[in-house]
Amino acid sequence: MSEINPLNKLPSVMEKSTNNYYQRWRSFKDSLARYGVIAGGLSVIVALVLIFFYLLYVVIPLFKPASAEAVNHYALPESALGKTVLLDVEEQNEVAVRFTNSGQAIFFEVATGKLILNEAIKIPAGASIVSFAQSSPISEGAVIYGLSNGQAVVVKHQYKITYSDNKRLITPSLKYSLGEAAIVVDNQGAALENIAVKVGDKSTTIIAKTTDKVHLLHIEKQQNLLTDEVTLERSETVLNIPLATITDIRIDKEERNLYLFSDDGHLSFFDISDKTAPVLRQNINVVTAGAKATVTTFLNGDSSLLIGDSTGLVSQWSMVRDELKRPAMQKIRSFKVSEKAIAAINPEPRRKGFAAIDVDGMMGVYHTTSEREVLREQVTNTLPVAAALSPRSNTLLVETSDKNIYFWMLDNKHPEVSVKSLWQEVWYEGYPKPDYIWQSSASNSDFEPKYSLTPLVFGTLKAAFYAMLIAVPLSLMGAIYSAYFMTPLMRQYVKPTVELMGALPTVILGFLAGLWLAPTLEENLSGFFLLFTFLPIGVLGFAFVWHNLPKSVLEKVPEGWEAAILIPVILLIGWFAFAISVPLETMLFHGTLRDWFKNEWGIGYDQRNALVVGMAMGFAVIPTIFSIAEDAIFSVPKHLTVGSLALGATTWQTMTRVVLLTASPGIFSAVMIGLGRAVGETMIVLMATGNTPVMDMSVFQGLRTLAANIAVEMPESQVDSTHYRVLFLAALVLFLFTFVFNTLAEIIRQRLREKYSSL
Amino acid sequence: MTEQKPRSHTIDMSSILGEQRQSQTPNETCIKVENLNLFYGKKQALHGVNMEMYRKKVTAYIGPSGCGKSTLLRCINRMNDLVDHVTIEGQILLDNENIYDKSVKVAELRRRVGMVFQKPNPFPKTIFENVTYGLRIQGINDKRLLEETVEKSLRGAALWDEVKDRLQDNALGLSGGQQQRLVIARAIAIEPEVLLLDEPASALDPISTLKIEELINELKEKYTIVIVTHNMQQAARVSDYTAFMYMGELIEIGTTSELFTNPTKKQTEDYITGRYG
Repeated sequence: MSEINPLNKLPSVMEKSTNNYYQRWRSFKDSLARYGVIAGGLSVIVALVLIFFYLLYVVIPLFKPASAEAVNHYALPESALGKTVLLDVEEQNEVAVRFTNSGQAIFFEVATGKLILNEAIKIPAGASIVSFAQSSPISEGAVIYGLSNGQAVVVKHQYKITYSDNKRLITPSLKYSLGEAAIVVDNQGAALENIAVKVGDKSTTIIAKTTDKVHLLHIEKQQNLLTDEVTLERSETVLNIPLATITDIRIDKEERNLYLFSDDGHLSFFDISDKTAPVLRQNINVVTAGAKATVTTFLNGDSSLLIGDSTGLVSQWSMVRDELKRPAMQKIRSFKVSEKAIAAINPEPRRKGFAAIDVDGMMGVYHTTSEREVLREQVTNTLPVAAALSPRSNTLLVETSDKNIYFWMLDNKHPEVSVKSLWQEVWYEGYPKPDYIWQSSASNSDFEPKYSLTPLVFGTLKAAFYAMLIAVPLSLMGAIYSAYFMTPLMRQYVKPTVELMGALPTVILGFLAGLWLAPTLEENLSGFFLLFTFLPIGVLGFAFVWHNLPKSVLEKVPEGWEAAILIPVILLIGWFAFAISVPLETMLFHGTLRDWFKNEWGIGYDQRNALVVGMAMGFAVIPTIFSIAEDAIFSVPKHLTVGSLALGATTWQTMTRVVLLTASPGIFSAVMIGLGRAVGETMIVLMATGNTPVMDMSVFQGLRTLAANIAVEMPESQVDSTHYRVLFLAALVLFLFTFVFNTLAEIIRQRLREKYSSL
Repeated sequence: MTEQKPRSHTIDMSSILGEQRQSQTPNETCIKVENLNLFYGKKQALHGVNMEMYRKKVTAYIGPSGCGKSTLLRCINRMNDLVDHVTIEGQILLDNENIYDKSVKVAELRRRVGMVFQKPNPFPKTIFENVTYGLRIQGINDKRLLEETVEKSLRGAALWDEVKDRLQDNALGLSGGQQQRLVIARAIAIEPEVLLLDEPASALDPISTLKIEELINELKEKYTIVIVTHNMQQAARVSDYTAFMYMGELIEIGTTSELFTNPTKKQTEDYITGRYG
């Protein structure tokens, strides 16, 4: 610079400002601010990433495949005491039992095969064992021996846990719950060739086949209230059925359904609800022609049958009601284990899964509803004779024909979750067809939890859709009016007021929506519809009248405060809409609008529905959208509006063709941020939707959102359970949802901004 | 047009004005300002302005910052209506009609009186859409007519050759000078009678300024032009008549050569010789 710096004339000032200490202090502050900002920004990103990874960390085990580990194998304990008819393991995986065809219960250590107890079943002298069966559910441990003299013995294996010196001691024992005396099933004393039993607390049903009959014996326990004396009441029936082919009998735990199998795969299904009058419901073939049913068992809950056949296929048959509501067994799905015949099927005692082993020792572990093969493992190389799956489904014992027991540990925590079970229609037991269902807990353990996220995602989008339907037009039109037409003075009051609405805690909004708005809406449905119709018409009508009023009237209102005059008009319209709604309703619909919808259109009405949540959440979202959109419209450069006006455009034309276009990136982000808020909103939907996870777009039906679902169920879910992890998955989905939404919105906004940004 | 002179702080008016053409056509009044007073709230910004502007002539307003020249210009197409708390007394006659009459539709007036601002203000739309904006808001959507007008207007604004291959590009991609000529094309697309230019070249580089000045010379064949400028050389180069304003008052108006060579008022002389401003 050739010019003289005037400041050079003031050396004292410059000296002070170039003071070394001051310079250092200044640059220190500068770098402090810079690194502070960087640290703050990075920690936000790190926190987000950590949340994401934590969610992922909890969710990932859901999709981990199961694993199996061979722990030990040992010689069959007391192998001389007959062939195994049943192998079982108790809850703690310490003691196993094998029942033999000679009537011995042999308890041994799971880990080593060391004998613990060997007890003979009390069988009347002279009788021999001809048949054996296990009662359902397996966990109760009841078994039955059918004898050659037409009698049967029911016995339970049970385990007593004691602690001595802080060591757990498990003592197995046998219990004769129906008395030690054998039960007479066939009075003629014919051998019970085939038998099935259900031993319950109050009653027991025994089905037994002799050479010429099928007996149905029902024993009811009657307890005298005064004396506590127990008497047994017997009722006997003989089933009318061709006999030669029956090879297997199953009775469900409700003592209601009876299944008789023949080895060519023929199934006869009886309804034995009335023990004295069994009804044949169905005759059906359950295997393909040429194949044989090798193993039949119940899936946990006893409403599905698993049938393993000689071609290595396990099929699930479930009771489905047909068009006439008659129950009928139907094949739901099947699992291919191998090409070899199935040797054993062990249902998981607490889940809808099972392990199937073929004659070559290849085991497949499956979960029925998720249709997932969770594990495939060669557990032995010799022919399996019997197998046991522990109550917790983590121990497997396989007995082979060479008199060995193979001890496997299974790690199979979340077989019920698969991409299909989460997102697609699943055919659950007892349902007429595949469906999307969220039902995480049920009244008893036989029902399986149903984890379909689809209805929740649907509910989330539905709630957001109705909220946006109400919020977007109102807030955008409000923003346009306030930013573009309103006088600065009025805007100064209106904008902060609307923004203050956003400070209202959503729990209050939800509370009001659920407890006040929902019942009010239900009572005055037609009033609300009239209000929605009258309000725009009335406001426009009033504006027209106002426009044509003489100047002398107009001048009495301060400039720009015309909008305030609308307040009484709106109140009047509101009053009018509700006042005429009842007479109008009676006249047009002969009753309430609600009933009319239901009777004429079949549209049901939930008190807490999408309309309520749309209004309440719309109210919550309006301030967000309004505020951002208003700023965007207001900050459209003046020179553009002036340029448009100078070309002869009217105010309206300028607004629609220049202002909105230029503000479009901002308006778009306003809407997207509002949408993001509506998707993630929890309290309002929690309190105002009824939380029914139904997939129905109807405005009168409730819904359940991902966020509300997490809030409702997280406190009651057991840590690390499938339910817990699925809730985390829902959170992850929600997180990804908002992430994808916001990213998309940002990309679109950037493109709009490139296109429409002004100078 | 005369050759471009290098800018300096002192003005050698004679070299510019020596070639100043006097128009051959007789002067016909296009705009007449009568006794115009303008108040921003209580503050008076224009004091009893009386003047005439002639058809197809260029009238330049000069004066120091804040003297009211832009305010006066904005009165001609009633842009001051957009400012809050403005009161205007007196009248402005356009073709002998008072534009402040109640029967006048402001939007129609502004179509007849086009305006170009100091800062180029193309809309964030394509070049094509910018030029046709004025037509579209009049409800003209005939594609052929629009295309013809775009070419005619862009040629009229000396921009056609530069942008004819990228009419569908965003106008914001043009340079500042191009943007300003685009804005002029946009203004002349609706065939106004009067063109108001509010310091049209003050935000531009010298080459763009030259182009704009050449353009003004061509445009006056068709339009009555009023230009506000604080660059006296520019006023001298482009205008036929010059009005000098000071403190909201019209001090002097006359042909450009007269005003610059032989001002009648001392204030004018002081200003043009650079004593203040």
